[in-house]
Amino acid sequence: MRLHHYKLFILAFFMSSVMFAQQSISGTVQGEDGLPLPGVNILVKGKSTGTQTDFDGKYTINAETGEVLSYSYLGFITQEIAVSGQSTINVTLQEDVSALEEVVVVGFGTQSKQTVTTNIAKINADQIGGITTSNFQNTLVAKAPGVQITQVNGKLEGGVKVIIRGLSSVSASQEPLYVIDGIEMNNNNTSSIGANLNPLLSLNPNDIESIDILKDAAAAAIFGAKGTNGVILITTKRGKQQKSQISVDVSTAIGEPTNKRDWLNADQYVELLTESYINRTGADQASADAWVDDRLQRYQGDQDWRDLDYDWQEESFQDSYIQDVNVSVSGGNEKTTSFISGSFSDNEGIVRGNTLKRWGVRANIDHKVSDRFKLGVNANYSSTVIGRIAGDNSFVTPLQAIAQVPTSPAFLLNGDPNPDTLYANFLLQDRYSFRETAVRRILGKIFADIDVIPSLVFRTELGYDYLNQTVDRNTGRLAPFQSTNGQSFASDNGSEIISTNNYLTYDYISDSGSSLNFVLGMNYTRFKNRANSVTGDGFPTDSFRSVSSAATISAGTGTFTNWAQVSYFARATYDYKKKYLLNASLRRDSSSRFGQDERDGYFPAASVGWIISKENFLQDSNVLSNLKLRASWGTNGNTPIDNFGSLGLFGGSSYDGASGIEFTQIENPNLKWEETTQTNVGLDYGFLNNRISGEIDYYIKKTDDLIFRNRLPFETGAPDSARILENIGNLENEGFEFVLNTTNIQTDDLTWKTSFNFSTNKNKITNLPNGADLITGRNILREGEPINSFFLAEYAGVDPANGDALYYTNTENADGTLDRTTTNDFSLAQRVIAGNPNPEFIGGFSSTLNYKTVDFSFTFQGQWGASLYNNAGQFQETGFGNGLDNQDVYVYDNRWQQPGDITDVPQARLFLNNGHSPSTRYLQDADFIRLRNVTLGYSLPQNSVEKIGMSRVRIYLSGLNLLTITDYRGYDPESTNDDANTNTNVGNTFYSAPPAKVYTLGVNLTF
Amino acid sequence: MMKYLKFLIIMVAFCMASCENELDIEPQQSISGGSATETAENVEALLLGAYDAARGNASTPIDGSYDGDMANIAVLFGNTDQVDWNGTFSGLRDIFSKQMINTNGDALAVWGDAYFMFGATNTVLANLDKFEDQDLRDQIEGEAKFLRGIGYFDLARLFGQQYNAGGGNTQLGVPIVLDPPSIDGRAIPRNTVEEVYAQVIQDLTDAYNNLPVDNGNRADRYAAQAVLARVYLQQGNFAAARDAADDVLQNSGHTLMPDFNSVFDTDDNTAETIFSWIITTQEGGNAQVLHFATQDLGGRGGDISINQAYLDKFDSDLDERKNYTYEGNGFVLSSKFVRQFANTEHIRIAEMHLIRAECNFRLGTSVGLAPLDEINALRGRSSAPALGALTLDLILNERELELGFEGFVLHDYKRTQRDIGGLPYNDNRLVFPIPQSARDRNDLLDQNPGY
Repeated sequence: MRLHHYKLFILAFFMSSVMFAQQSISGTVQGEDGLPLPGVNILVKGKSTGTQTDFDGKYTINAETGEVLSYSYLGFITQEIAVSGQSTINVTLQEDVSALEEVVVVGFGTQSKQTVTTNIAKINADQIGGITTSNFQNTLVAKAPGVQITQVNGKLEGGVKVIIRGLSSVSASQEPLYVIDGIEMNNNNTSSIGANLNPLLSLNPNDIESIDILKDAAAAAIFGAKGTNGVILITTKRGKQQKSQISVDVSTAIGEPTNKRDWLNADQYVELLTESYINRTGADQASADAWVDDRLQRYQGDQDWRDLDYDWQEESFQDSYIQDVNVSVSGGNEKTTSFISGSFSDNEGIVRGNTLKRWGVRANIDHKVSDRFKLGVNANYSSTVIGRIAGDNSFVTPLQAIAQVPTSPAFLLNGDPNPDTLYANFLLQDRYSFRETAVRRILGKIFADIDVIPSLVFRTELGYDYLNQTVDRNTGRLAPFQSTNGQSFASDNGSEIISTNNYLTYDYISDSGSSLNFVLGMNYTRFKNRANSVTGDGFPTDSFRSVSSAATISAGTGTFTNWAQVSYFARATYDYKKKYLLNASLRRDSSSRFGQDERDGYFPAASVGWIISKENFLQDSNVLSNLKLRASWGTNGNTPIDNFGSLGLFGGSSYDGASGIEFTQIENPNLKWEETTQTNVGLDYGFLNNRISGEIDYYIKKTDDLIFRNRLPFETGAPDSARILENIGNLENEGFEFVLNTTNIQTDDLTWKTSFNFSTNKNKITNLPNGADLITGRNILREGEPINSFFLAEYAGVDPANGDALYYTNTENADGTLDRTTTNDFSLAQRVIAGNPNPEFIGGFSSTLNYKTVDFSFTFQGQWGASLYNNAGQFQETGFGNGLDNQDVYVYDNRWQQPGDITDVPQARLFLNNGHSPSTRYLQDADFIRLRNVTLGYSLPQNSVEKIGMSRVRIYLSGLNLLTITDYRGYDPESTNDDANTNTNVGNTFYSAPPAKVYTLGVNLTF
Repeated sequence: MMKYLKFLIIMVAFCMASCENELDIEPQQSISGGSATETAENVEALLLGAYDAARGNASTPIDGSYDGDMANIAVLFGNTDQVDWNGTFSGLRDIFSKQMINTNGDALAVWGDAYFMFGATNTVLANLDKFEDQDLRDQIEGEAKFLRGIGYFDLARLFGQQYNAGGGNTQLGVPIVLDPPSIDGRAIPRNTVEEVYAQVIQDLTDAYNNLPVDNGNRADRYAAQAVLARVYLQQGNFAAARDAADDVLQNSGHTLMPDFNSVFDTDDNTAETIFSWIITTQEGGNAQVLHFATQDLGGRGGDISINQAYLDKFDSDLDERKNYTYEGNGFVLSSKFVRQFANTEHIRIAEMHLIRAECNFRLGTSVGLAPLDEINALRGRSSAPALGALTLDLILNERELELGFEGFVLHDYKRTQRDIGGLPYNDNRLVFPIPQSARDRNDLLDQNPGY
């Protein structure tokens, strides 16, 4: 076939050059990916002659030798080719990769990156490929400065915490607003157990075209009352006007925990237990041995404990296995374009019993009725079925098995789980119970664009987000803690968001190149939730599992809740000759969450920019290619999480079968918006034709009228643990962000690019009611200190003379210094600020290397300044002072044994508290550097791919979390307790699983 | 096209007008403040809420201390050698080993739950004018004061030093709050033990005077009188304790069950029950079963097990109370707490016999019944051989045999000034710390010595 073309080409060349001056030239125009480009404009320079490529990218044009053909297409670099007798000219257009032409999504519109005056981080699909994870937020880690993304722990469905530019709220939402294709997305956790379930896991990362993160207030101000924590705008893929293209992506991955810990083996355990008994009682060796023997026999099941050495940790973890298949078809003609995809993902997690299966379909269709009327629809359905395991603070969660005695077998000789373990054997739970959560989600919208007059477009959008979560749980009669012949629980929790956006967009471009854009519109959003559950006890046999078979219906719930918000917004964007930039917006929100008098909030913003490099004095610089100064200011709001936070409420209760009422919330009619005002100053730079480019930003973000779950004295008798929602206090975040992108090598065969970002954030509480400290467990809110700082007694190591744990008294001296005397009496030790649960410095470093058809990329992430408290330390590092839990080998290796020993592990004393009270002993730095992902890909050469009728074949191998460098001694510096982390009780880990280390082999095919 | 535009403007304007109305949303499973106290019916429902708050309910954030927690705390804190703690709850472990710290979660729960319950009883008492029916009004007042009385009594016993029969009693107890919840007056100091006991006796006496003779499963006048007997005994006011116990024994209609097992092996109240906290499959959770029983019975596998030292207190192997145990997870466990949905006994008639006998013995009287006859009658029910003669020690020992693990040992040892676990009865470590979290919210709360 190609040979034939070649011959024809030569023949035509000779014939044409000799015989004709005016000739017909034909050919194909394609993109770099080898796909034909329809609609490319082809002009004969200097003449009015021109044509367009057809649907297959083919064209024919008449031109004379010596004339120049110009091939231009939006988003591609225009190419010019001189005619010198050819009859066939095939052209490959290069995409215009210049970052300056990039378009960012700004909310109710898009804008050229070049003229943007606010801080928006854009992440494109190609930056998040090859990362195998069930939570799309995980793909964004380390890609944007000022955006900290932490998966709570290693469970597949686990919550993900996203913090943009520091925490700016105490008791209201700390999560950013998620908007998908212009429609607010429900991100409420509706997990039926303490452990969070990421509501966004229903999204298929492969459907995402780009993610824009609005970081400063002026950018987020168009979202007004919900913008305080930043806004994440997700744009899904749409069809292009091109020949249909089918993409198939298939990958298989295996995984393991990023880290395992060392626990005592049987010999070490027995030795330490015996020692601990002797230290406590002063008994002789023989009676200590007898006591240990008596104790350990209790847990040995049907075997002899002396013969056993069991590693329980190995039972908790398993090798994970992930299979992903994704198919999409996109394409379209002048009238209609579409993107249709289907995906299936089958995951087995690294923690035993944790599974996740997701499938989904999406259709995004755009249709042009006339030049002035366009409409479209997005429809997405996904179903995710999760095999869940118990929360971290549960005996039957697999990771708590590490507390079991190593001389206690996991299984009896007949293969059944050993029921006589120290703590409930989770393997009984694993075998005789299940908890299946199904998340079904419909995300859809219809929209229409109507050109009222040219340059004035009215857009109306109606969006719908239905998130349904059902839970089916059954605990069989042999499962731990089961006393009622089996129990089943079934629940159904459905939330819907109906929203509509209606806005006018006016665009004006003057002859001199100045432009004005004006947006005016409204939004209405209504949320409804309906949840009910039923529990049944007593089943004939374990084979009966549905509630209908239960002997008694022992519990039931049913709740409804709603909120609604009405908003109006306006925005003006003006640039003078693309040099001086101006942007202003105002939004008014009214929310049902507040009382009648405090319902309305106004959120203004303004920003300016100056592209200095366009000034005459810099325009001709060879070195400097871009220099833009930006400044922005704006105010965002935040509503309480509670739908009825301002009302005094009484709820239903019952006693002896009669219904009662109980005080549940104390009234505060003055409750109003929390307001965050942020000022941002930034500089965009580019050198050497943007081979070196980046951004530098400084921001200061002040939150006033903090919505605060304030604490009243218990003695007032107020409900909800004597708490009340009030607007009190202020806090601020201040930070720098720095981005540096470089193209280190760019030749025809080899491209090497790197991208580096880092950001700092300094959080500080600036004002609290009466200046008083507010303490929740181990966390404190104190003026002048970062939010939720650790507040703990300070551990001072071990008294070398007697092995007692010591603490610093830290009482205040007359001169204001702290008394550093040590004491073995915990009650004499004053608590001090001991650390920050949030990092002060985060960074990312990515690099991509393309050599011919080989691609290689990696990303490192780093985090500094945060501490993590191991709340399980009081069991894992006690020397049996707090139960017979298996101990960290660190205790065995470092324990105090005789006078003179210098160590930080106190003498082991059975069932006596020698150092396991909450102190800095269990607080560790959580700094780390992680090789987040690595991908090596190979694309088959174009000619061999075409032979098999395809346009692209790429095989890749990738890794996630391959390497973690840290001094942290626990499982992982990022994994935290999923059962007890709230807004004000943070930074603790409790038998929390580490994230997975995943190896993926995949193939991308395009037809 | 202008036609479209007009249509759009009308549509948008219409939506703007109607959308604003959409913002008036009322909660659907709660009622707001004012209406909660509007009617007598609601005030009575608030009283039931107070019972629930005292007992606890899994579906509300307040856990309540009277579903067994209060009794378990007295068992563990008062332990000398009777029981062992095998569980993992570190708050209870520290109580057991008398190594409490001021962040102890159980101390905080007792404190917070009690004051939340007082908030409910005080709301009821402030709204008695809503009742038109005087009998009902008296009954509701009596019940609210009964609940408040027992709450303050338990707080005084745990957070203050033992009441001294000789007088004084200026040691700090807990703050007395008699008003409904309010965000005003946020800091209140602690009252003395004397003041708290006076309030307790006042409340329980009012309750006794207002309550009906029979009130179903809720508090009646003899429940108030029985608790008063307990309060007087704790004070060392033996005559008052004796007379109160005698009143209950003579007039309440409650009697000893014919055999010991039938007192405990039931989900319901028996003739012996003067007052209990109702627990069903749908309400509350029995914390005694939780910490005493094996997993298949709804417990955690024997957190609290019985030591030989306790069994050695019995003088006869025939005593059914001695054999009222079973083996589980390698431990000896009490058979008193094996029914997961059993009510938790607050006060039963056997205690009245023990109080009357002890007080008669101390005072050399025989009000109602001679002490020896009374003790032997109680022993006879459990097939224990009759005693030939009484001593105070025998009577006190009899209390341990009969009431073992029901939450008496701490308070009995304190009032009789016996050492507990090697510590003198008035040791600082035998008094709860004021929870740090309560002091963080109210800086007028002084801490107990030693914390």
